[in-house]
Amino acid sequence: MTTVKTTRTDRAAAPIAGRGVRVTRGVLIVVGIALIGLGGYVLTETVSPTRYSGLLVWLIGSVIVHDAIIAPVVVAVGLAVRRTGRRVPAAVIALVQSAVVVGVVLSMIVVPEIVAKAKGPKNDTVLPFDYASRLGAMWVVIAVVTALAVAIYLVRTRRQKVRESTDQV
Amino acid sequence: MRSLLFTLRLAATSPTRNARTATVLGRLLGIAFLVCLLTGLYSHFLQEPAEWMRFPTRPVWLYQVSQGVHITAGIACIPLLLGKLHAVFPQLFQYPPVRHPVQVLERASIALFIATSVLQLVTGLLNTFQYYPWPFPFRQVHFALSFVIIGSLAIHIAVKLPLITRYWRARDSYDADGAFVEPAGSLDPARAEFTATRELTRRREAEEARVVSSTGTAPPRPRGLVGRIVHWIDTAHEGDRDPHRARVSRRGFFGAVGVATGGAVVLTAGQSFTAFEPFNAFAPRQRGIGPNDLPINRTAAAARVLESAMAPDWALTVSNGDRSRSFSADDLTAMTQDEGDLPISCVEGWSQTGRWRGVRLVDLMATVGAPADRRLRFTSLEERGGYRVMLMGSEYATDPATLIALELNGERLSIDHGYPARVIAPGRPGVLQTKWLTTIEVL
Repeated sequence: MTTVKTTRTDRAAAPIAGRGVRVTRGVLIVVGIALIGLGGYVLTETVSPTRYSGLLVWLIGSVIVHDAIIAPVVVAVGLAVRRTGRRVPAAVIALVQSAVVVGVVLSMIVVPEIVAKAKGPKNDTVLPFDYASRLGAMWVVIAVVTALAVAIYLVRTRRQKVRESTDQV
Repeated sequence: MRSLLFTLRLAATSPTRNARTATVLGRLLGIAFLVCLLTGLYSHFLQEPAEWMRFPTRPVWLYQVSQGVHITAGIACIPLLLGKLHAVFPQLFQYPPVRHPVQVLERASIALFIATSVLQLVTGLLNTFQYYPWPFPFRQVHFALSFVIIGSLAIHIAVKLPLITRYWRARDSYDADGAFVEPAGSLDPARAEFTATRELTRRREAEEARVVSSTGTAPPRPRGLVGRIVHWIDTAHEGDRDPHRARVSRRGFFGAVGVATGGAVVLTAGQSFTAFEPFNAFAPRQRGIGPNDLPINRTAAAARVLESAMAPDWALTVSNGDRSRSFSADDLTAMTQDEGDLPISCVEGWSQTGRWRGVRLVDLMATVGAPADRRLRFTSLEERGGYRVMLMGSEYATDPATLIALELNGERLSIDHGYPARVIAPGRPGVLQTKWLTTIEVL
């Protein structure tokens, strides 16, 4: 890695094409293509060609599920929240949004377990818990913690405002 | 097409989506993926070693930790990858979609990276609870895709290297107010085109507003569905221009990704690490549950050994070339017994240390004069299954800790744990700790 001795504004404007960057790029691209080739070779050596179409469907499906379903929903919800929540303090929105994100992401990890358990695990020591009620409890905990955090934030900012106004008197 | 892509890109812009947030999450994700690759390769070669490979047998918990890290890092990748994809989502809507022939490769490598890494995490997670709803073999595809992922990641890093170095440090990324410093056009042509178009639109609107105010007519309301949607999106973004709101929104984003990652790790790692056991809410395994107080992967019923393992004439045959001896269960019990704490560490990530008691493998092999430098072949009573026959390198065969176990946690081995006898060696995956033994041969 080369150190570019320029000021901040210069660096932002100048095209970065130092020798170090060029060499690193070249090496990474060669290594990358070689590894993709290796992966393809391993796949053809170990997986029956009759399974390729199923694999391809799942690969394309993964992109579609993210890019066409999950991400647009997140964008739309984000826009709606920002539009309707313009009068709400930014920190409150951030807290509630973060709580929902955490809950949804953890749910994405736990819901497949609930499905697999419903389908019947291979033996009793696989998926031993009642994951649905645990997930429900998790959402309750998240809701309570978020409500507390929001309440603490609001009380604090109100006190600060009161203090500021009394200071002025 | 052009305006549609700009509208979509505009809709997707947010203070949490910029080259800096992508760099921060990309670094973490890159490290996690590399950890998964290395621990995964270790696990792979333990199971399918090349002829010349030798592995350490100490510390005995080496594989327990390496595979626990593999699964836990993989679970941590789920929130990190979602966050990373969130940060770069506007890049999907570039205009023109392809600027340069090389860019076809770049976008193709990103598509490949997203497809393979999402699938890898989904299949890896589901494999931890033996759920396989897809039409291809898990292990082979998981192994092959790991190279494709790291390869496309290397290409992606190569392409984005100037942007990554530009936004490596926070102080180069945000101005004094905390507003994101947009990359120069040479670094990100798509972004430059996008900002230029927005600027033009802003000036045109300002001009229209000036004309309207001087003539006194009301500004025209946006017409048509598209116009209304664009207007709706534009007004939704008004708050983003306030640097304070943008900063808080960014902090919230990193907070959410951090808590989600931490939560996913803490609430599942208890299946692999003792320190996290009290917080094990969501892992597919719980230590201490099962016969002999230990979980099982493959039951005797699934392996179809219920009858053969309970047969009164069962014997373990040990052979070295022409020399061969058979041991009944009573013969084995009559031999000198040794006891040791060794973990069962499953490739699916869970592990638990058990107290094993049985005959030392070295003692047993000495009865047929087995040389120390040879590999052994273990065969199970199972009639079919990928792990019916297991090869053991000499490093495990000669290790004094390796046992032909007859007891586990103070009781006779349960049939699901391999009754009448199973092997337990230090530092190997659970699938290689062959249960329901019937023969051991020197190779």
